[in-house]
Parts: sequence; C-alpha cells; structure tokens
Amino acid sequence: MLKLDSEALPADRLARRRSRPDRPAPGTSTGRVIRLKERNLIMLTKDLILRNPLRLLGQENEDIVGPGRFGAVLARAGVGKTALIVQIALNTMLRGRKVLHISLNEPVGKVDIWYREVVHRLAQHYQVNDMQQLWDTMLPHRLIMTFQVEGFSLPKLQERLTDLTAQNIFQPDMIIIDGYPFDPEAHPLLEALKDLAGQLAVPVWFTVTTHRHEAPAEDGLPVQLSPVQDLFDVAIALQPKGETVFIEALKGCTLPEAQPPLVLDPATMLIRTQVEGGVA
Amino acid sequence: MKTNIRHLRNIGISAHIDSGKTTLTERVLFYTQRIHAIHDVKGKDGVGATMDSMELERERGITIASAATYCQWKGHDINIIDTPGHVDFTIEVERSLRVLDGAILVLCSVGGVQSQSITVDHQMKRYNVPCIAFVNKCDRSGASPFRVIEQLKNKLAHNAVAMQIPIGLEADHQGVVDLVRMKALYFRGDNGETIEELEIPAELREMADEYREQLIDAATMFSDELTEAVLEEAPVTTEMLLGAIRAGVLQRQLTPVFMGSAYKNKGVQPLLDAVIDLLPSPKDVINQALDLNAEEAPVNLQPDNALPTVSLAFKLEDGQYGQLTYIRVYQGKLEKGDTVINVRTGKKLKIGRLVRMHADQMEDIPALGSGAIGAMFGVDCASGDTFVTPGVTLTMTSMYVPEPVISLAIAPKDHKSEINMSKALNRFSKEDPTFKTHVNDETGETIISGMGELHLDVYIERMRREYSAIVTTGAPQVAYRETITQRAEFDYIHKKQTGGSGQYGRVAGYIEPCSEADFIFDNQVTGGSVPTQYIPACEKGFRNCMAKGPKLEFPVTGIRVVLNDGASHSVDSSDMAFQAAARGAFIEVYPKAKPIVQEPIMKVVVETPAEYQGAVMGSLNQRRGMILGAQDEGVMCIIESQVPLAEMFGYATILRSLTQGKAQFTMEFAAYKQVPQSIAEEIAKKVAEKKQKVA
Repeated sequence: MLKLDSEALPADRLARRRSRPDRPAPGTSTGRVIRLKERNLIMLTKDLILRNPLRLLGQENEDIVGPGRFGAVLARAGVGKTALIVQIALNTMLRGRKVLHISLNEPVGKVDIWYREVVHRLAQHYQVNDMQQLWDTMLPHRLIMTFQVEGFSLPKLQERLTDLTAQNIFQPDMIIIDGYPFDPEAHPLLEALKDLAGQLAVPVWFTVTTHRHEAPAEDGLPVQLSPVQDLFDVAIALQPKGETVFIEALKGCTLPEAQPPLVLDPATMLIRTQVEGGVA
Repeated sequence: MKTNIRHLRNIGISAHIDSGKTTLTERVLFYTQRIHAIHDVKGKDGVGATMDSMELERERGITIASAATYCQWKGHDINIIDTPGHVDFTIEVERSLRVLDGAILVLCSVGGVQSQSITVDHQMKRYNVPCIAFVNKCDRSGASPFRVIEQLKNKLAHNAVAMQIPIGLEADHQGVVDLVRMKALYFRGDNGETIEELEIPAELREMADEYREQLIDAATMFSDELTEAVLEEAPVTTEMLLGAIRAGVLQRQLTPVFMGSAYKNKGVQPLLDAVIDLLPSPKDVINQALDLNAEEAPVNLQPDNALPTVSLAFKLEDGQYGQLTYIRVYQGKLEKGDTVINVRTGKKLKIGRLVRMHADQMEDIPALGSGAIGAMFGVDCASGDTFVTPGVTLTMTSMYVPEPVISLAIAPKDHKSEINMSKALNRFSKEDPTFKTHVNDETGETIISGMGELHLDVYIERMRREYSAIVTTGAPQVAYRETITQRAEFDYIHKKQTGGSGQYGRVAGYIEPCSEADFIFDNQVTGGSVPTQYIPACEKGFRNCMAKGPKLEFPVTGIRVVLNDGASHSVDSSDMAFQAAARGAFIEVYPKAKPIVQEPIMKVVVETPAEYQGAVMGSLNQRRGMILGAQDEGVMCIIESQVPLAEMFGYATILRSLTQGKAQFTMEFAAYKQVPQSIAEEIAKKVAEKKQKVA
C-alpha cells in the first residue's frame, strides 16, 4: 500500500503548521505582490519543501542542525552519503538559503553532477515539468569549492571565505564539508572549525566514511566519530540492510516512533519514508 | 607519390595556448631537414617561427591559421597540421582534428593540464583521435612532468603512462631516459641534433626500473604475448613492448607520455620516433562517409588507391594565386587532370594543380594518394565540401560548427577600403564557417559575427594588413533574443472589405512557450473552418514574425503556435489575407504571453594563481557573473562561473591587469537566460535610441 508523505505527518505537526505564527490571518495581506509567473514557482517550491521527508528529522522549516553546530552523515563508501547530503543542501536552497559545498576529493564538475542528478530525479518523482526554471532560481544559492585533502587547512578556508564574504559574492547559510578525513588527529582542526562556524553562525555538515570491518567504539558510535562526538550535535547513519538503506538517527535527532522509517531509495537515491510493501 | 600507406602519418599538434606547440613544430621541421635554421616564436631575429607565416601571427606570437606542412622522418611521410591554441579559433582545431589520424597533445610541465587542454581533449574524443602526450618546457622552473601525468589521469581520465623520465629538471634538464630501450639520451650540438645514447646514470637507475615496471604493467593489457613474457619472466623485447603500447594507443586506451624541452632542443627526436612507432597510419583508422542514396547510412571507406575517390576539403586559403583548398583523400586518389564532383553543389570540376604545403611555401606534386593531405588550386568550393569520382554518392560527415555569439558593426573609411573590405569579408566567411557577415537592412551597417572578441579582432587586423581596408568598428553587439513565458489565446480577424477586392481571414488558437524547438506550428483546425489551402499561409505569417519580435525587435524563439479555429470568406479570403491575419494575431497576442528578453550566458573558466582567487571572483561577480565553483589545484586555482556575454567585453585586459598576466580564461556558450529587469530596460532604451537614429 502506498501512502502520501503528507499523510505520514504526525497530527501535532499538522496542527502546528496550520497555526503557524508567520502565516497571515485570512483576509489580511502581507503587501507583497506575487506575479503570476512567480506564483507557480513559489507554489512549487513550497510543495517540494512540504513533501520532503527530511523535515521529519528536524523542526518544521528549520535546519536539522542549528547555527554554529555540527552534523554528520555516516556511512560506508558507496552507500549514499553524498546523495543524502546533497538532498539536505537542496532542501536548504529551496528555502532560499545559501549553501557552500566544500569537497575534498571530487572536482567541481563531479559535485555539480550530483546536484543535477538529484534534482532531475526529484523532478521525475514529483512529476515537476518546469524543473529547469526552478533549478535556475536555486543555482545562485550554491557554491562549490574544492580543496586537495592535503592542502585543506583552517587559514586557507578562512581566506577563501573572506574572499567570498568581504566582496559580498556569497554569504553562506550552511556549509557542507564532504570527504574530510576523520583520523585520530582530526580533533584540533574540527574544534577550530567549530569556532569558525560559531562566528559565522552557520550549521556545518560533514560526511564520515566508516568501514565494515571496524567495530563500534565503547559508546556505540563508529570509531571515526567517537573521539570527536562532543563537537557534533547531530549524527545520521546510513545503514544498508538487505536491499534497503535505512536512515538512522545516531545522535541529536529522533524520528517520531509513530513514523515509518526513513530510507534511501536504492533505485533513485532519494530519501523516502518506508511503508508496507515499498517506499513512498 | 608513395605507395606504402603504412609509412604515412597525418598528425596534429594540439595544446593549450603558450604550451609551445609552434616551437615544437619548428624543431620537428629542423630535424626532418625541412628548414635549415631555427627561428623562435617571438625571436630576437625578427624572422618568427616557420609555421607562423602570417605577419600578425609572428607579431602576437600565436598561431592563427592551421598551416599544414609535410616532412619525412626515417622513411616515413608525416603531414603535420599546426593548430591554434586560443579558444576563439576552436573551429580551426576541430577542422584539423577531423582530418587527422593521430595527435600529439602538448602540455606545459609547469602549467599542466589547463582549461584549453580539456577542450582540445574533448574534441579529440569527439573525432576519436588517438594521441600521445609531450610534456614540454621541462627546463622551466617549477617543471614537474609527473604531476602532469597525474593530471592527465585525474582531469582527462587518460590512462597516461611515462615512456621516459627526465634527466634533471628546470635549469639542470639534460636529457631523458628511454624506458623502452633503457638508455639515457643526451642531446648535443648547437641545436640538439646529435643524440648521445649512454647508460642510465646510477642515481636514476632505480627510478627508471620502477617506471619501466609501470609501463610494462600498463602495456600488458593490450598484448597477450607481452603478458606471457612477463608471467614467464622472459625478457621483454623493444618490439614486443612498442607493439603492445601501439595497440593501446590505437584503441585510445593508453596515452604514452614523452617529455623534454622543445625550446632547449631536448626530447624532440624520440617524439618523432614515437609518431612513427605509435600513432596510426591511415590504414589503421576507420573513416566513415554517408551514403546519400541510402538515407545517409554510414559507409566505411578503404584507403585504397584503386577505389573511387572520396576526399574532403577541410580548409580554404585565398593566396596570391587564387583559392588554395586543403584536402584530405580518404579513398582512391586525386591526380592532376582528374574530374571530380563536388557533392554539395553537384558541379563537376577538373583538378588543375596539386601541391604539398610547407607552411607558406609549396611544392608541386602529380597526385595525392589515399590517406594523403595536400592542397589544390583553382577550385571554387566551401570548407567542408566532399569531392568524389563521378557516380559516387558519398559525403563525409558534416563538421560541427558552433553558432557565432558576438557581432560587431564595421564601416569602411573610404571607397577603396569599401571595395577591399567586401573582398576580405567574402574570403574570410568562406574560409571560416564560424565567421559570418551580413548587412543590416535598416541601418545599412555591415555586421560581422564570430566566436569572441579576439576572433573578430584578428579579422579586422587582417583586413587592414592583407587588404589595406581600414575599417572603423562599433561597439560589440550581443545576440539577444525574445521568448514568451506563458500561454495566451488569440482570435483575430483581418478584414478589408471597403472597395476593390476584399481581404478576409480569421485565425484563432493560442501560443505557448516550448523548449524543443525555436518555432513549432501545430494545425489543430477541425471541420475546415480554415480551409486547408490557407494553412501554409497562416504558418508563413507566424513564422515571418519570428525574425523580429514585437517587444524589442530581437529574434523570437521557443514558441509553439496552435491554430484551432478560424473563418474564411468564399471570395475575399486569400493566402495574403491569412498571412496578414496571422501577423495581426501574433502582434496582438504576443504582449499577453509575457515576453521576456534573453541573453547569451557564457561558461567562463578562469585559471589563476591561488593568491588572486579573491580578486578574480570579485571581477566575475561585478560582471553579473554567478560563481559555480572554485577548484584548488595547489598553486593554481580554477574558478568556474557563468557570466553574461554582454559583460565580458574587454575582460582579457582586466584579467591580465588584475593578476599580473598570470591568469587566463576560456569562454564558451552555455545557455540563453532571461535578462534582469534593469538591464532589459537599458536595452529597450538603446533600441529606442537606435530606432530614432535610423528614422
């Protein structure tokens, strides 16, 4: 049986959405004129945000990770860390906020392909015809920056960020760092990065590669995350079981008990809620 | 005419601007004894490199037209096409690659794989040209050939493998170690013409063994014989190893990398040996033509002199003796006095004089055999035409020609210049399909269009030098266009029934945006409300409106017109009336469909030292550019962005001054996108001013 995502929403959240304080009361106007052409785009954007199963992980219309805080996506190589993180980024971009995607192992072109591919699949899934137009409006909200792993350092990142912010080229609202090596010496740099995130008041997401042969640390977290777990507020793991990849909250966010589990659809790499007999 | 086609090589030398390919060609010509003195590209002797025969090329130190040249090396005939490195001349590179069997990809050992190398590599892939790589400038400070090999692997996805290792680098660069023969090669004499073959220096022995191991490892993929020898620990012979590498190169699965310094005369002769040993002869390459009698089904051509001739004109030049047509014979042969047919025009013509080119000099030859490249005189044709033996209906596949993105109005200074200008324009547009020219009906101005500022600049300069036509140029114009954003319905009656023969036609339907084509006309009329004979007139009426949009008079694109109703009059309806009705309907409905102006957006890739990254990003941002990404490459950094073409004029100068000349950029068309409101208003103002001026 297939279920619509909005049906899978908990009752209290539906109620909260209806009584959102920022929504004008019927009959009043915010004074903003929405052009006819824009309206479709705005409706489409809202629709995509509402339908996004990611919202189950966080607060309504808010980021899963707060400003100045760290989030991590953990999985073994090839399970779908980048696919998940790109969807987190797209969700932020849809809300008109800017994402700085820093990749330490892929060139700009390859990261861009990830985004295009996920957007293309989202368009197919939600049967959106005019995705190109939406993509054109989203693209200015993303900037990809790549570093060589060995060349990545805090001063370098700060210098690049200053280049961007001082000239008002790009003011990130979220930073993603993909491919950062979580080795035993990572703590000092991560700490410094956390300070930087605090100064900029932006959430930072990391991808963490785990390995099949490694046993979890004493606290039950993967060995890569355990030594630095104090710095992270949220950790989400991708757990392949059989042919399904489950999205599990390791730390910081909880999925409501009543909810069907979140999964990464192996065919499309899109986030879905799992319902009986398949994914919705 | 040599009969052994296996001893023929048609090769190109492609690379990023300033990686030294013209210098390399100069050395090749010297060692093959085509020239007897070496002149440097920007040499103090003022002679300039042999291949840069145009005065302008010598002055600017860039190669503009691809000059073909012929030489011999160890009993083999080699045709070399020297290709331009600047992106504005990409059509030249594309045309050269179309007729080549193999190529040398020249890379700078300091700059490595640069943006233009990536473009050239794409083109090589498109035409399936096998290549070997030459890492030049190993004498420069910061030279790192192994980093370049890594970049070939990572950035261009080549299975690159070193064929040599350098003996010393930078100022200490003395020669190379040949990993196939395991010998150290030193280049002695004033011009490096004497090669001294010595034992590998002891300090390099271990490194050489290691790289040879890697080379053999990569080559085993292509030869069972070699694999067996390696497994059985039998000695690997030179022939065995070269055979395996050649097989890999021909499949485009392996890119052997040579190194040296053309400027310092090091490593060029081994590269020539490699051209013979590793690159394909015309016999090793499959070339296809399209059969016009079988719905353009592809046909494989055989490089056999006995078969009917199929040849392709790939470049035209207008010299002092008339039009010179560069031609490659794919099948059969071309002989003086032969009659051939130009497939495009169907015209018969007789081959008068055949020559073999050597930069700007030539030697007469009686015939061109299969696979050969030469030139013929006195043939009137366009670039890309196919010449065949009468009775053959094959045509070579058409070449990819990009649409021009920039226009410039030019005006001759006096009457003499006017005559010369038209002569020059006629020749240039025939030679270069990306260069177009037309006269604006309204302003009477002559407009030239091309692929970039430098492209047009060079032609204007050539007009002045070669034709003494002095022209003044207007500001460059961007090719804007209009489109609609929503569906709108029309119902229009064209009626003129007062005195004389009347006109009547009614058309109804809707227009809507469409992305599949520039213009689609969809006839959904049922019940004969618009009689069938008037439907083409309706279509024509709408189509004629596309050339000039009602909004700002730019061409209209991306429109689907659906005609679903209408009316006619038994006496007063005519083709003319329905055309007028369609025109009227379009003008009426167009504003309702929310028209917008679009402008060409260019993908601009800037390669800059990392310290200038901020400045460069700022400069792109100022130009309404959207930065897509910044890629860190150690000392260098690559910034990808999308910038409106209208903002890119003069950017080369700005970039140079921002970065002390250390950065370079490439630009290619990406998409048409809506012009922001404020800019659209500015454009509207300019259009209105221009209209007033004309009036």
